[in-house]
Amino acid sequence: MLLKIENLDVFIGSTQILRNVSLGVNEGEIVCLLGRNGAGKSSIIKSTIGLYPSRSGKIIFKEKEITPLSPRKKVLSGIGYSPEDTRIFTELTVEENINLSTWVTGKGEHFDAEKIFTIFPAIQKFLDRKGLNLSGGEKKMVSIARALALNPSLLLLDEAFEGLAPLVVNHFIEALHRIRKLGVTILLAESNVRTASQVSERSYIVERGEMIFEGHPRQILENEKLLKLVGR
Amino acid sequence: MWIIYTLNGLYFAALLFLISLGLNIILGVMGILNLAHGSLYAIGAFIAAWIIIAIGAKIPPFFLYITLLSGFVLTGIVGLIMEKSLIRFMYKRTLEYQLLLTFGALMLLEDVIKMIWGGQAYYASAPFDLLGKADIFGHVYPTYFLFVMIIALIAGLLIWLFMSKTKLGIMLRAISLDREMATGIGLDINRLSTFAFVLGSALAGLAGALVVPTTPALLGFGHEPLILGFIVVVVGGLGSLKGALVGALLVGFTRSFGIAIFPEIELPLLFLIAGIILVVKPEGLFGR
Repeated sequence: MLLKIENLDVFIGSTQILRNVSLGVNEGEIVCLLGRNGAGKSSIIKSTIGLYPSRSGKIIFKEKEITPLSPRKKVLSGIGYSPEDTRIFTELTVEENINLSTWVTGKGEHFDAEKIFTIFPAIQKFLDRKGLNLSGGEKKMVSIARALALNPSLLLLDEAFEGLAPLVVNHFIEALHRIRKLGVTILLAESNVRTASQVSERSYIVERGEMIFEGHPRQILENEKLLKLVGR
Repeated sequence: MWIIYTLNGLYFAALLFLISLGLNIILGVMGILNLAHGSLYAIGAFIAAWIIIAIGAKIPPFFLYITLLSGFVLTGIVGLIMEKSLIRFMYKRTLEYQLLLTFGALMLLEDVIKMIWGGQAYYASAPFDLLGKADIFGHVYPTYFLFVMIIALIAGLLIWLFMSKTKLGIMLRAISLDREMATGIGLDINRLSTFAFVLGSALAGLAGALVVPTTPALLGFGHEPLILGFIVVVVGGLGSLKGALVGALLVGFTRSFGIAIFPEIELPLLFLIAGIILVVKPEGLFGR
């Protein structure tokens, strides 16, 4: 198993945001975290990368415990992170945004253009443009491309499809499959169960900071009670 | 006389630009409101005065101006020690803790200044005297003030080039734009924050070193520049080189013309401008 989370408890101040969360992601899989807004999907992603420190529990990556490591060390160990809300550095150009990851690893001056353009060919057209002047979909492309430029084994994608037009969502689904073919495992936080069913074979439902279901997204689509929990 | 007031405004703006640039880098990259920034400016002034008094008479005039860079370099080292020993423990604390700590650092640095240089004034006018006076449209004006303006301009250009063209500068900008995301993508926040604090401190030290040939360095030397530096940041906006320049020019000219036209309200007028900006455009004229 590439990533294993065991009994994770996370607090922000005195509020517990994750309770006894456990999950596993096998090498080569695309696994979805499903749930309503505020259910705790993003918190799991942020805790995995180290932005939210855990109070108890373990995060094991490539059979090594990485729970107390800083986000930088986790990134250097092979975890890429693409945050929610189309977050890229708006005053930097697209090229600078993606290059940042290459500089983090210290493995060159410029990102692997061939690899990135294979996944997102459109990026070539706006490399010189500032992040501020991109559409929501373009920003998401850049955000994922930036995480990919690290050459990660595991990609953490927080709400990769949120706010995208249905046609664009299809392009992104294809892109995720292309990324998987490169040997990258994906843990994706997603609110839409129908989209999740097109990308992943295995999903978890998160509700109020707890894992309440594990299975194929189709099982959720066929179960009225679970569908209600997911919210769509 | 208007030419002189304008030049004085530019000179004053040049110094404020250097001070606020440092303040802006530290606040933007680290999110720390450094109340000890004025003390770093004072340390730059004392260091430069000390060195000029000690070796100024023994070195060729050109090297006298090079010694002014000692304020930049040595204050940067003071900044490094301060960041490693105090500031880095405050990154995850709330603003109140940061304010208390940097206020404590201000008091500490004032005591260090008193301990090293005593209570007396340090005056090192040689760089000012050597450059003499220039004739500008029939008005006699100290050439040293023009020298300061040129140095500030060069420093501004170098910082702009550094921030926009180098890897290190782009990474610093990324942190200042979104610290959490920069952390999440693996940037070395601690090392980059240290660098930002050292650079910001060095710029304050350079401003102090440049001013000491015109004004004696005294205890409490950095208090007023700190307040004016904050006004520049409020007016110009956080994280903007252009904002620091425009803010410094606005404050510099208001000060220069204010002293000539309405000396009683020159300082309150600056606070009024800052207050209006905070109400109308809280992010400042060019801030994010």
